[in-house]
Amino acid sequence: MEMLHNLAFGFEHALTLPNLMFCAIGCVVGTLVGLLPGLGPLATISMLLPLTYSIPTGGALIMLAGIYYGAQYGDSVSAITMKIPHASSIVACIDGYQMTLNGKTGLALFTAGISSFIGGTVAIFVLAGLAPALGEVSLLFGPADYCSLMMLGFFCVSFITTGSLLNGLAMCLVGVLLGQIGTDVNSGLERYTFDLPFLAEGVGLVSVALGCFGIAEITKNLDAKEQRTPFSGKIHLMPTWPEFKRIIPSALRGSAVGSFLGILPGGGPVIAQFAAYALDKKVSKYRHEIGSGAIEGVAGQAAADEAAARTSFIPLMSIGIPENPVMALMMAAFVIKGIQPGPNMISQHGDLFWGLVASMWVGNVFLVVLNVPLVRYWLTVFKIPYAVLFPSILFFCCVGTFSVNSNLDDIYITAAFGFLGYVFMRLDLDAAPLMLGFILGPMLEEYFRRAMLLSRGDFSTFVTRPISGTLLGLIAVFVVWQLVSFFRVQKRPAAAMAAAG
Amino acid sequence: MNDRNLVRGLFLAVLALGFGLGALHYKVGSFAHAGPGLFPLMVSSLLGVVALITLVRSRFVPKVPLGFGLKNIGLLMLALCGFALISQHFKMLAGIVFLVFVASLAGASFSWRRNVKIALGLIAVAFAFQKLLGLNLPLY
Repeated sequence: MEMLHNLAFGFEHALTLPNLMFCAIGCVVGTLVGLLPGLGPLATISMLLPLTYSIPTGGALIMLAGIYYGAQYGDSVSAITMKIPHASSIVACIDGYQMTLNGKTGLALFTAGISSFIGGTVAIFVLAGLAPALGEVSLLFGPADYCSLMMLGFFCVSFITTGSLLNGLAMCLVGVLLGQIGTDVNSGLERYTFDLPFLAEGVGLVSVALGCFGIAEITKNLDAKEQRTPFSGKIHLMPTWPEFKRIIPSALRGSAVGSFLGILPGGGPVIAQFAAYALDKKVSKYRHEIGSGAIEGVAGQAAADEAAARTSFIPLMSIGIPENPVMALMMAAFVIKGIQPGPNMISQHGDLFWGLVASMWVGNVFLVVLNVPLVRYWLTVFKIPYAVLFPSILFFCCVGTFSVNSNLDDIYITAAFGFLGYVFMRLDLDAAPLMLGFILGPMLEEYFRRAMLLSRGDFSTFVTRPISGTLLGLIAVFVVWQLVSFFRVQKRPAAAMAAAG
Repeated sequence: MNDRNLVRGLFLAVLALGFGLGALHYKVGSFAHAGPGLFPLMVSSLLGVVALITLVRSRFVPKVPLGFGLKNIGLLMLALCGFALISQHFKMLAGIVFLVFVASLAGASFSWRRNVKIALGLIAVAFAFQKLLGLNLPLY
C-alpha cells in the first residue's frame, strides 16, 4: 500500500506541465539519437549535461532518463528495420530483422513497442518496491564493502560489455587513472597536471565522453564508408488478436528476466536481452519459430531490454554505486545538481526519486502513444545523408564541451580524447568500461584510503567483513572461470577447428 | 608490428609505466596513512600486470592485423582545434565555417554548396542556443 501511496506522490510531480514537457523532450531526443548513427546515449547525455544547469533538478533528471530509454527504443527501430543497432539492440536484429524480411515490419515494431511498455511497467513496480528496501541494506556497507562492490562492478562490466575480461579490466583501470588527474582531495597536491592550470580541476567528464564516444564513433563510420540504404517498405502496425495474444506471455517472461538482471552489478539491457531470448527459445510455445521471425523473438527481448534499463537505476539510487557506464553518467548528473545518490536520497529527496520513477512510466506512454504510430516519420531521419550529419554532430560536441565552463580550451581536451578514443577503438578496446572507471575512480580511492585507515593498513579487512568477503569471493569465482575457459580453448584448438570446419 | 593484440599490450604497458613512474614523484606513504602517490601506483601496477598478460597472450593467439588510418581522425582533430582557435582569437561564426569545411574533407564526397548550407544551418542553431537557451557563445 505504501508503495502505491509513494507512486501517487511521484505522479503528482511527474504530471506537472513542465515535467511532462521535459519528459517528452527527453523521449524525442532519445529516439532521435537512437536512430542516428554516431551518437549513442552516452554521448548524448554528456552533451546535454551542461545544458541542464539552467533547468530545475527534477526536470533535468527526468529529461536525461528519457533520453536513455528513448534511445533504447530508437535503437531497436533501426535494428528491426535495417539490422543496424548502434548501441544495444543486438538481439532485435535477429528475429526483428527477419520479420522485416518477411514483410511484417509493422508487426515487429508494434510488438517491440508494446513489449517495452510491459517491461517498463513491471520494472517500475520492482524499482518502487525494492529501492527503498535496498537503501536500508546499504546502511550496513562500510568503506571496505564499497571498495569490493566497485571492484565487482568493474569485473562484471568488463566481462559483459566487452566479452573480454582482460580488455575491459584494462579500460576500467585506465579510466581510474585518468580520474586521478587533478587535485588530490586529501593532500591538496596536484597529480598528473604537468602544471597546466586547466587540468587542476581534473579532466572534464564531458570531454572524455564526447571524445571517446562522439568523435571516435564518427571516425569509425567515416573509415567504414558504409552506404546506408534507408528503409522504404510499407508499415502496417496493428496486429490481429491471435498475434496480440502471443506477445503477452513472452513479454512478461522478458520483464521478469530483465528486472532481475538489471539490478545485478554490470547488468543492464544487453545481457538481459540475450537471457530473455534464450529463455524464450527454451520455454516458448512457438520456440521452433524463433530465429526465423517469430513474435516471441522480438517481444521477450524488448521487454527485458526496457525492464533492465529501468531497474539498473536501483543500485545507483539505493546504494549510490552506478553499475554500468550510462548509470555512471546519470550519477554525474545527480552530483552536478547537488544530490548525492545513495541511501539518503530517497528520504531526503523523495519528490525527486518518486517523481523520476513515475516519469519513467509517463515516458513509456509517450513512446507507445507517440512514437509507435509515428514510426514511419521517424524513419525519414535515415534519409539525412551522413555527409550532413557528421559536421553537425561535431559542432554539437564543441558546443557541449564549451558550455560546461564557457571555456574554449576544453575543446582541445575533447579533441585529444577523440584521438585517444580512436586509438582505443582500433586496438579493440571498448571505451564504455573506461567511463565507469573514470567516474568511480575518485570514489574508489576515497573508500580505499578510508578502509585502510580504519584497519591500520591491514588488508584482511577486505576478506573478514562478510559483505566485502562475499563480493571478493564472487570476483575470485569469475577470474577462475575465465582462466579455465581460456585454457580449455587453448588445449583443444584442433578439436574446435575440426568441429567448426 | 602489424598485430593488434601485441600493440594493445604495448600501449597498455606504456600507459601503466607513464602513470606508475609519475606516481613515484608523489609521496607514497604507508597503507595505513596513504600518500597521494599510493593509489595511482597500485592501479598502474595492476594495469601493468594486465598489460603483461596481454603481451604474453598475444604470443599464443592468432594475429589480427591492425587497421590504422590517420587521415580522417587527423582531419577531425584539425577541425576541432581550428574551431577553438578561431573562436578564441577571432569569431565563432568563422570557426563554424572552418569546422564544416575541414571536417567534410573526411567524408566520402565534398560539395561546396552543401557545405555552405550546413554552415548556415549550424549558424542558425548557434543563434538559437544563444538567444533561447542563454549560452554565451562568442558568435560575433
